[in-house]
Amino acid sequence: MPLPFIFSTGIEEGLSKQASFSGGSEIDHLSDYALYVRGISKTFSNGVVANNDVTFGIIKGEVHALLGENGAGKTTLMKILSGCLKPDRGEIYVNGVKTRISDPRKAVQLGIGMVHQHFTLIPTFTVAENIALVSSSSRKLELKAVEDKVRHVSKSLNFEINPNTRIEELPVGARQKVEILRLLCQDVSILILDEPTSVLTPLEVEDFFRIIRQLKNDGKSVIIITHKVKEALSISDRITIMRGGKTILTIPSSQTNASELASYVVEGFIPNLKRVPTARGEPTLSVKGLFIKGDRGEMAVKGLDLSVHSGEIVGLAGVTGNGQKELVEALTGLRKVEGGSISLKTCDLANKPPNFVINSGISYIPEDRMRRGVILGMTISENLALKRIDKEPYSKKMLIDKEALDKSAKELISIFGIKASDPCATAGSLSGGNIQKLIVARELTNAPNIVIAEQPTAGLDVKASEAVHQKLLDLKSKGAAILLISADLDEIMKLSDRVLIVFGGKIVGEFSSDSLDMEKLSKLMLGSE
Amino acid sequence: MIEMALVVGLLAITLRTASPLLLASLGETIAERGGILNLGIEGAMLIGAFSGFLGAYFTGSLVVGFITAIIGGILTVLLFGILVIKVNLDQVVSGLAINLLATGLSLYFFRIAFSQGNFPYLGQLIDPMPIPGLSGIPIIGDILFNQTIFVYIGLLSVPLIYWILFKTSFGLRLRSIGEDPFVASYLGINVERTRFISLIVEGIFVGMAGGLLTISMFNTFDTRIVAARGFVAVSIVILGRWNPWGALTGSLLFGFTQALSLWIGTFLVGPAAPSISQLLSLLPYVVTLLALVVGGRKVRGPASLGSPFAKE
Ligand SMILES: Nc1ncnc2c1ncn2[C@@H]1O[C@H](COP(=O)(O)OP(=O)(O)OP(=O)(O)O)[C@@H](O)[C@H]1O
Ligand SMILES: [Mg+2]
Repeated sequence: MPLPFIFSTGIEEGLSKQASFSGGSEIDHLSDYALYVRGISKTFSNGVVANNDVTFGIIKGEVHALLGENGAGKTTLMKILSGCLKPDRGEIYVNGVKTRISDPRKAVQLGIGMVHQHFTLIPTFTVAENIALVSSSSRKLELKAVEDKVRHVSKSLNFEINPNTRIEELPVGARQKVEILRLLCQDVSILILDEPTSVLTPLEVEDFFRIIRQLKNDGKSVIIITHKVKEALSISDRITIMRGGKTILTIPSSQTNASELASYVVEGFIPNLKRVPTARGEPTLSVKGLFIKGDRGEMAVKGLDLSVHSGEIVGLAGVTGNGQKELVEALTGLRKVEGGSISLKTCDLANKPPNFVINSGISYIPEDRMRRGVILGMTISENLALKRIDKEPYSKKMLIDKEALDKSAKELISIFGIKASDPCATAGSLSGGNIQKLIVARELTNAPNIVIAEQPTAGLDVKASEAVHQKLLDLKSKGAAILLISADLDEIMKLSDRVLIVFGGKIVGEFSSDSLDMEKLSKLMLGSE
Repeated sequence: MIEMALVVGLLAITLRTASPLLLASLGETIAERGGILNLGIEGAMLIGAFSGFLGAYFTGSLVVGFITAIIGGILTVLLFGILVIKVNLDQVVSGLAINLLATGLSLYFFRIAFSQGNFPYLGQLIDPMPIPGLSGIPIIGDILFNQTIFVYIGLLSVPLIYWILFKTSFGLRLRSIGEDPFVASYLGINVERTRFISLIVEGIFVGMAGGLLTISMFNTFDTRIVAARGFVAVSIVILGRWNPWGALTGSLLFGFTQALSLWIGTFLVGPAAPSISQLLSLLPYVVTLLALVVGGRKVRGPASLGSPFAKE
């Protein structure tokens, strides 16, 4: 039977649910869906309505992209489908059969598996151990059998991995693939991927999509959440948009385009980045002949030179694992410098403690936001004030002024559009993108001298990304020196005045924004020039 | 030959004094691998010691005492488990509260059971059980195979617990919970159940560790009988890097210095002897502290040890 290509769930178009869902043809119709839900609602204990009467379906063998603003309820819906959260109301049909998904184990039995927005791999375990955690049913740990399975499945995906590597030694791109590998070792047929690409470089994304296409050819159904409309268009068959806890529209990818999608995601969104021409000033951050050791004692940064002037954004492009992490940690006082110098104007910063770095006016947006950016158990207003908690207006005579904290938190929440029920809610209750907004809000206020921004828009929706970009440009025009490290080359090219390419712990090339040669840049990034 | 006999004696005593620490630290290793820091171990040992004593005293059977010690240990650790897993209270605070409760309860019931000024003691003790055949081996036989049941259980449990932690699916799941309970629950692992199982096992070991103090070592009960052995066990777990073999090494180190200080104490004469021997009895603690300073730095324990876990 022909499938309706567009089903809309009311709200926007005024169409009510498909007529075919009542009456005799219902069973027929539902069985075309690998997964179909309706009327799903979820209210969290703090009163936030994350899902409100959601209807959503995924056809067997399709790749379905789910888009929506930060806090729209995408993750919540997917957690319900994978058994990690219980819905308050609603019906779930798997292959046309009504079911209850009581826990993640049940979901896997039904063939549904999920890759979460934040990694769910145990960093100190090996690849095989992480996979055995879910796939081994015997009492005795049959690691050998798991290793064989890992080799087998990874080979079929054209993706080489040593099952005995510990996760913490792998770059993020490989970790993401291990997550998928784990689902496939559990023989699931419906894969839910929550923002799997947000920190991957374009090459890694391409490789990742190759795997997804292959899964589709093998008959699997895939739901993928992303904030990048271009990615959604290139990988998916159909796209569903969520807004305010509801699905508002489902549309075939072939019948829409990037700007239309962006305006569905954020009602009426039109890109509008304002650039003020800024003269480049004096060098603010200078790094000379820097040597830094990596985690395993090897030299990760080998004589790196770099300078960022005031009124300038310098983009650092490179494949992860070429010393970026160590460089940033040294700049922020988190890692020891073995040789060379780091200076802010004339002040020496090498091997100074983090609070010295912070007090010199250096802001830092970390890549690992969950561990470096926020304290999940503390409130939003505390997290926002944390770096300046001992200063006016947050503290007076060593006492914290709770009112000042909440007042400034309220301001920042509205300026940066953080979707929060209340400044006293814990940071852990925010959606992934809103945690990122919180960090950005803290780091980009108070007129920093230098901003070190690592993946500043990872996980942000189009509107929030643009707000961050605008804020970075504004800071630049006010004379800040900005070092931008991002896996997203588009972002680097959009914002940077100069692009530096890092490879093997050194800067191997430099472009100014008006003379960018993409081909040469990619080659430099791979070290083949 | 006299020196040889002396060394053998010293090593045999080492095992004996190490046995309560070994049992307790093995139990604590299992709990901590699942992310639960049980400082209430001191109190659980006390209840084990008390219930073991009561069982043995009133029935006249050491076997009953052995069993009641284990039951006392399990119940105390389970109470702690309910506080931290079900009610989600802070682990450190709950542990300390259990210790206070244990002291209070055992003192209260001791007073009820025995009139004041009356010092009850057991007619018999769990004595060393030479293992036929093996105990005859020169040197080794005297050190290893002429010991109490508690020493045997402790030594045999080391490889057993190692096997459970690192070679079974249960162990892998337990360790994943210790690293990140949220992730574990997303992966469909039953965090609560797995943790309760690990605590029951801890209760068995801690109950034995406490029981052996009354029914095999001191022959009587006093509320100070545990003498911080529970806390020492917690530091032995760190020293042993959350590994049963490490727990064995740490316990032996402590046991050996304790045996050594006792032995040196026997040579002391003169009026200053009591105070010097008091000082000497500090030696094991000092050595443990030093070992922690030297060997305990930079060790990485279970990442979520002691942190709360509540599901939405
Ligand atoms: N555990 C929780 N407790 C309370 N509120 C929560 C919890 N998890 C999510 N929320 C709230 O539910 C709403 C939807 O969150 P959800 O994580 O589903 O958003 P999302 O669409 O995935 O957003 P993002 O793109 O930022 O990841 C948000 O307002 C969030 O603050
Ligand atoms: Mg999300």
